[in-house]
Amino acid sequence: MMESDVWKGYLAAWTEQCIMIQSPFVHKGIRVFGPDSDYTTFAIAAIQLHLQNGGLLSVVSAPSEIEPSIVQYATGIEISTMDNDSTPEWDLLIGDDATVVLALNNSSFELPEFETKIEVDAQFHESMMAAWKKELNISNVSQGAYVSMALYNEGANTRMTLASDVFGNGPVWPPRQMDSSGQRPDVQRQPLQTNGIVESWTALSAAGAPSEFSLRAPLLEGLTTVYVRLTDGPHGVFLMVDDEEHDISIGNSVEFVIRRIYGQESVVRYGLKARPI
Amino acid sequence: MVDVAVVGAGQTKYGNHPLGLKGMWAEAAERAFASIDGDFSPSMVDEAFIGSLAFGGAQLGNTAALLTEHSGMDGVPVRRVENACASSGFAFRDAWMAIKSGQADVVVAGGIEKMNDLTPERKRFWLGVSGDTEWERLAGLTFPGTYALMARRHFHEYGSTHDDLVNISVKNHAHGALNPLAHIQKQVTFEKAASGFMVADPLTLYDCCPTSDGASCVILAADHVVKRFTDSPVWVRGSGAASDNLALHDRPSITQLKATQQAAKLAYGQSGLTANDIDLAEVHDCFTIAELMATEDLGFAERGQGGEFAREQRGMLNQGNVTINPSGGLKSKGHPLGATGTGQVVEVFKQLRHEVEQGRQVDDAENALTHNVGGSGATCAVHVFGREIA
Repeated sequence: MMESDVWKGYLAAWTEQCIMIQSPFVHKGIRVFGPDSDYTTFAIAAIQLHLQNGGLLSVVSAPSEIEPSIVQYATGIEISTMDNDSTPEWDLLIGDDATVVLALNNSSFELPEFETKIEVDAQFHESMMAAWKKELNISNVSQGAYVSMALYNEGANTRMTLASDVFGNGPVWPPRQMDSSGQRPDVQRQPLQTNGIVESWTALSAAGAPSEFSLRAPLLEGLTTVYVRLTDGPHGVFLMVDDEEHDISIGNSVEFVIRRIYGQESVVRYGLKARPI
Repeated sequence: MVDVAVVGAGQTKYGNHPLGLKGMWAEAAERAFASIDGDFSPSMVDEAFIGSLAFGGAQLGNTAALLTEHSGMDGVPVRRVENACASSGFAFRDAWMAIKSGQADVVVAGGIEKMNDLTPERKRFWLGVSGDTEWERLAGLTFPGTYALMARRHFHEYGSTHDDLVNISVKNHAHGALNPLAHIQKQVTFEKAASGFMVADPLTLYDCCPTSDGASCVILAADHVVKRFTDSPVWVRGSGAASDNLALHDRPSITQLKATQQAAKLAYGQSGLTANDIDLAEVHDCFTIAELMATEDLGFAERGQGGEFAREQRGMLNQGNVTINPSGGLKSKGHPLGATGTGQVVEVFKQLRHEVEQGRQVDDAENALTHNVGGSGATCAVHVFGREIA
């Protein structure tokens, strides 16, 4: 018997041997990704749900549509490749539509049919897909901030898991290199709880958004950024997601989900976004 | 220890300047040289410090040497000082320290930025490179967004309102309308400023400074050579500077700037003056909320009372104990990033010598303060000036 719920903004169904993540959005009768989701964000959500349910996992196989390094940064779970000789017991499978399944090898299961179907605005959806395609085209020279892959990768794990350093009396996130006494932090990084409270927010007009968002911000009618006090103490700033039906206010609770941030040099940059709960 | 005075100061008009870097700098330097009452030659300069973000990257390397080359300062040791929008505030401090150390007698401090020759996308890129890029840009933030987060939090913690910010905008436009060197020389009504295009909620277009071209140049001299240049120097009575975390989320509070508080404490301490002694202050109002917080951090208003200070227009020209931004501030005079800090000194130099245009002079101005902030508060330089030496 499969259980089901909304998980990280997606439709989710699961048993002990199988987790399915599916988009709530439909276009021309087919499940499609939302504006900042893809197979990689779905795969991460599937693994996170499995781990949340107490499942064990170390290595999984995955098709090429899923970015292995991002999954590993976000979940700590290794994706088997031709370069490593690990033998996965679990497989990540993708559908023709916006669906990802995490399943135990050779298990049999029947995927449920979710009733939730949100019909997307066709023009918005097609414009957003076109914007991403253009943004990720290698010939597109973004005027956006240049966060190199090396810099991005250095902070990717802490960015996606809220892994914090320990300084003095409490956790510090994002990580720091040295404290005021000249000491390096405790290297045992601890992931923080992935939720918090909004302490301030702003909605940037499309014209005021950073230039790396210039193709998509007009479609989204601007960007909303929140300043959040994490449940464990530190603060962070995050883009909001899935907030179309919510009026954000100071004091609102949010959870963090992995989504696409922007694309540069044909590489998608992923990170945490805040989602109202 | 040697005392330091400003003996000359000049700037270009801020705005869409028709000239490039060399031409703008030469214009500012020429005006600074001309403002010196006695004989002066650029060959007398011992050292030079020029602030610039090098906006657009056209002359990212050796910016300063190119500029001294085009202003008659052949062979003068010079360097570019970069601390985002506080670049020339720190260039001024470096110039002051060069004289204080006894290594130089005559020093130039200046700043420059050419910002209006870029596409809107390139502008937005350069306007966003001074925060903690890796963390803040990935959250969609440039400085309008960062200051908007501060504003909303200030409203929440202290009950200040957007109307308070509107009052700051109205005041600074009123001052700037009287300043022939200002980028935006027109008054705005409260109603118009309150209904501006929303840039980063709650900040509207009228809460944000313009992107301006401009250059500014000041000449500092040691006390034992001041008499060669002028009988009415403006003395640097105190210099303070500090830094803070770049990213907003790394600070304990986002409704005050620790760097401003620390820099002000140092500058006041050296000067022997307090906020109550200051007749006019050129403060860093890149956004109206920045001026509101500065009035608190610099001691002109109690913590949390910046909104009330603005509401009662206590900073309006000759209306209260202190006039805030008689030049029009960054909001109206303009904000050519690297030029802003020494541009503030140009205004103070003229105000304390009682040489400002009719209708904009602060009555009986004896002491003044400049406050120059880099980014959202990562760096800050505060200087206190007086007609009399301490």
